This record gives sequence, C-alpha cells and structure tokens, in this order.
Amino acid sequence: MRRLALLIAGLALIPVPIARTQNAPADVKLEWKSGSTARLPLRCEPFAPVGDRDARTTSVQGDEVLAADLANSAVFQVAKSWDPNSSGSAPQFVTGGKWTVRGTQLKLAGELRDFPGRRPLLVKEYAGPVAEWRKLVHRFADDIVLQLTGEIGVAGTRLAFVSRSGRDMELCVMDFDGHGLTQLTTDHSIARSPNWSPDGSLLVFTSYRGGKGPQLWVMNPANRKPFLLSGRNGINTSGIYSPDGQRIACTLSMDGNSEIYVLDARGGAPSRLTNNRSVDTSPCWSPTGREIAFTSGRSGNPQIYVMDSDGGNPRRLTYDVDYTDSPMWSPKGDRIAFVSRTGAGFDLFICRADGSSAQRVVSGGSNENPHWAPDGRHLVFSSNREGALALYVTDLDGTPPRRLETGGRKALSPAWSPRP
Amino acid sequence: MRPMNLLRTLALVAMVAFATTGCAKKPVQTPPAPPVETPVPTPAPTPTPPPVVTPPSTPTTGLPIDKATLGKLQVVYFALDSDAIDEGAQAALDGNVRVLKSTTGDFVVEGHCDDRGTAEYNQSLGERRAKAVQQYFADQGIALSRMSVVSYGKDRPAVEGSDEHAWSKNRRAEFSLPK
Repeated sequence: MRRLALLIAGLALIPVPIARTQNAPADVKLEWKSGSTARLPLRCEPFAPVGDRDARTTSVQGDEVLAADLANSAVFQVAKSWDPNSSGSAPQFVTGGKWTVRGTQLKLAGELRDFPGRRPLLVKEYAGPVAEWRKLVHRFADDIVLQLTGEIGVAGTRLAFVSRSGRDMELCVMDFDGHGLTQLTTDHSIARSPNWSPDGSLLVFTSYRGGKGPQLWVMNPANRKPFLLSGRNGINTSGIYSPDGQRIACTLSMDGNSEIYVLDARGGAPSRLTNNRSVDTSPCWSPTGREIAFTSGRSGNPQIYVMDSDGGNPRRLTYDVDYTDSPMWSPKGDRIAFVSRTGAGFDLFICRADGSSAQRVVSGGSNENPHWAPDGRHLVFSSNREGALALYVTDLDGTPPRRLETGGRKALSPAWSPRP
Repeated sequence: MRPMNLLRTLALVAMVAFATTGCAKKPVQTPPAPPVETPVPTPAPTPTPPPVVTPPSTPTTGLPIDKATLGKLQVVYFALDSDAIDEGAQAALDGNVRVLKSTTGDFVVEGHCDDRGTAEYNQSLGERRAKAVQQYFADQGIALSRMSVVSYGKDRPAVEGSDEHAWSKNRRAEFSLPK
C-alpha cells in the first residue's frame, strides 16, 4: 500500500532527486564538515583567585563553567588540569587567568595561550558584578572560540522551552547550559512552539491561555507580560519571526483549513501563502527571508516543501514514505533539519537546502522539534530516548547527544536564542 | 488512514471531478476572509456524498445542555492520521445527535490526536477531526451556531502511554461546555 502511494506520489510530482532519508545510514559523520571534525585539544588551568574568601569560592565555580562552555562549544576536547581523571592528548592550547574580587566587583583577566610555547593568543579583561560572574565566563569562552575559529561561540545564548507538569505546559527560559531556569507563564494551560525574535528580546509562542483554543502570543521574557498576537477564528500556531523581525509566519485556519500566513510583527495584515485542502503548517524562514520551508499533507502524508516567501514556486523537498515534519533552516542557509518517523518514533535528519544528501543524525526513542544553535554547530531537540521527555543537544559530530538539566521537569519544544 | 489518503492522492492525481465537487462543503465557520478553502470532513469512502439535509437553524426546544447531558455523549474515534468518519464513528455520532436534539445551548467539539504525530501537525489534524464532527452534526440538523471547535493536538491524551491501546483511545473527538 505504501509502495503504491509512493509510486502515485512519484508519478504525480516533479522528477526531483529523491532524498531517501528512510534508507539513510545511521552514520552521523557529516560530509559537509569538510575539514576534520576532530576537536582541538585544550587544557583548562584554574583561575588564580585574588581577594577575599569569596574570590576562591567563585573562581573554582568559574573554572568549571569555562571548561563546560568550551566542551559544549564542540570545538575543543577539554582536559581540566585540576581533574586527574581528565586525560587526553597533549594540549594545543591552555586557558587560565586571574580572578580578582573587590567587594561586589569581579575582574576576570582571561588568557588563552598556545602549548607548549605558552605564547599568548588572547589576553582580555572582563569586569562586572560578582553576581554575574557566569556571564563574564561565558563571554571569555565565546572569545576563545572566536579567536580560534573566526566565529563567536554560543555560551551567551539561552533556550526557551516548555515544561510539562501533569496537564500544565508552561513556557520557560534558561541559559544554554541549563543554568538559571525561569518559568515565564503560570497559566495552567498549554504552551507550545516558542520562537525568538531575531534580536532576542521577544518570544512568540502558541498558548491556550485565553480558553479559546490555540492562539499566538508574544512575550518579553524580561517582564513576562504576554500580548495576543493572533486570536483569529480556528487555530493560530507555529509562529516564527522573519530574519529581519518585521514579519511572523504562522499557521491559521481562519479560512477553514490550516494554511500558512505571514503577519506583520504586531499580528496584523495577514497574507495567505498556501492554498490547498490538506494541512499546511510548521513554517520556517530561510536566513535570507526569501524562502519558507514548511510541512504539507498535500501528497497524502506530511512532507517538507519550500516556497518563496510570497507563497510562489512551492516545491517538494522530502520524498519519505513516512511522516516528515518540523523543518528548521540552518543559520548559514545551507542545511535544513527535520524529523521523520521511522517505526514508533521520530529520528532527526539533516539535508541540503535543495533536499539532497539527507543524513540521519539522531535516532533512538522519539526525537522532536529540532532547533539550530546560532553557530549552526548544534541542534537542540526534545526526546524520550531515556524515558521522560527531556531536552538534548547534538553537536552533529558523532558524539552522543547530551541531556540538558531542566530542574527535574519534563521538557519539550525547545528554541535556541540568537546571540546576545 | 491509508485507504482514504490513497483515495485522496488518486483523486488529486486524476483530477477526478467528484473529488473537487462532491467532497466540497460549505465553509463551516464564518471567516472574515472569503472562504477559499474548506476542511475535508470526508464522509466515508463512498463517491456519493450522503444526503445533506440543511434545515434552518431552528432552536430546538429542550433543556439547556449541561454536564449530565455531556456525559451521555459518546466519544468519537478516528483512524491513524485520519479525519474520516467511519462506521463506528457514525453510529456514535447518530446517538449523539439524538441526545443533542433534546437540548439547547452551546457546546464545544474537541479534536485530539495520539502522540505518534508531531505537535504542530497534530494541532491541525485535531481541528480537522473536530470540524468533521461539527459538519456531521450540522448535516443532521444541529445548529452550527451552537458549536465551536477546539483542537488540543496531542497535548490532552485520554490515556497516557505509547501503545496501540493508548493511541486508539487518544485519536478522538469529545465534547465539553464553553469556558
């Protein structure tokens, strides 16, 4: 039956190179990382504390956070000089510096040196309130990544997500490493599908908080006051900001069926992009804003399509036998991540922007809602791979996905913020 | 799911006339924009549409709908990835029509999905299920003005779990009072 359906779909549609993700090997080595995917060996040496007893306490925490940031960057293989268990090959680089606390102020004089020469590659001071020491360490980590890769890291980013407790699904935000979890809503309703504005100041999300079904709301996480973006008749879901922040693509059914629309950033002036009797949903902009990837059931089961951002020129991207959804365009525009059902659950895949070279990057359990880090090196997603629903990050280099700590809460629907 | 989807695909491919005319229904909502599209509450795999009786929405006399009445309504179940009303669903709906006709007042048709789909797609699928039920009721003479639809996607399962039993119980339409 499926084969017949595929055959029919194939006959009916344009002969495009078929992305047979279903049969893609489970190998996670991605050819598009053309160079070596090996991480640079780096050794973290402890900061030297200067000042009162507080200085020693916070500097030890700072050591651990810097090492974690650099390991999470996926650029480095990190060894901690204070940890006898962290061995590894001889380092190419070492980090360290001075951690000076005077009253409520911290000055971090960070150093990155090559090894064994120990010539300085980066020497930079970061100053601020002791209470914000994590921020200073994250900035140092991002500068180290910048120094050695030419692109700033993502240690200063945050994750929005939804926590589930019983029937309540609440919007939350936390640092990219799981620290500082803050619950943004207490609606005792259903929140879903958050996405950040490109400047990181706003979140658009789906919520049932109005009691009228799924509506689109916008919230500034700093003041937690949501405003209604779209409460039109029917469903209002899958909101996502355009790269210039001026428009929001979303799914509305105000004309009877789930279709993709573009609204202005205040929720007005809806313009309809799709027009067929199947479900169209899950829009996602290309980084140029010129195209939108989306999911449509027009071929019989959900598959991914791309259209111009005015709705023109729709073309099919995936030719899977089974259910495919949740397209997410990579920040550099060259790749699209998506999920495809294989057996009972969903696996994560990445293909080129033209649909070719699909590769399975995560399998095991059910894996949903992939969202790119702004550097394109990582995907955050939700998964039940270890039982309870939790957030995971894959570094797309063959290392196993790592689970993010969310204070013991079930977590889903993650969205990675832009850089601060 | 498969037979209906296949049928739909076939219909699309061949551009068979009944697919575009026979299944088309009047818009179930009154949207501000022109009703370009309609959901496809596909009424069983027969090429001929069921006799559509559209009586004027005369308010039926009866008791105001309440929790007790809601309790008499049967949950309507669906096949995987489908919003089609099959025989079992039809029997349940016909029973519900009899109950509803003895009442007055507004009620909500809730559409739900199992957890084998994605959250976003299921929000749309759940709405199609609710609208298929709403259309069936309207065809049987329940005033459209009494009904609203809400889709909960996969976020309000009737049965927790990821097995055949839970899935079959979660692909459903059920009924509630307006908030």
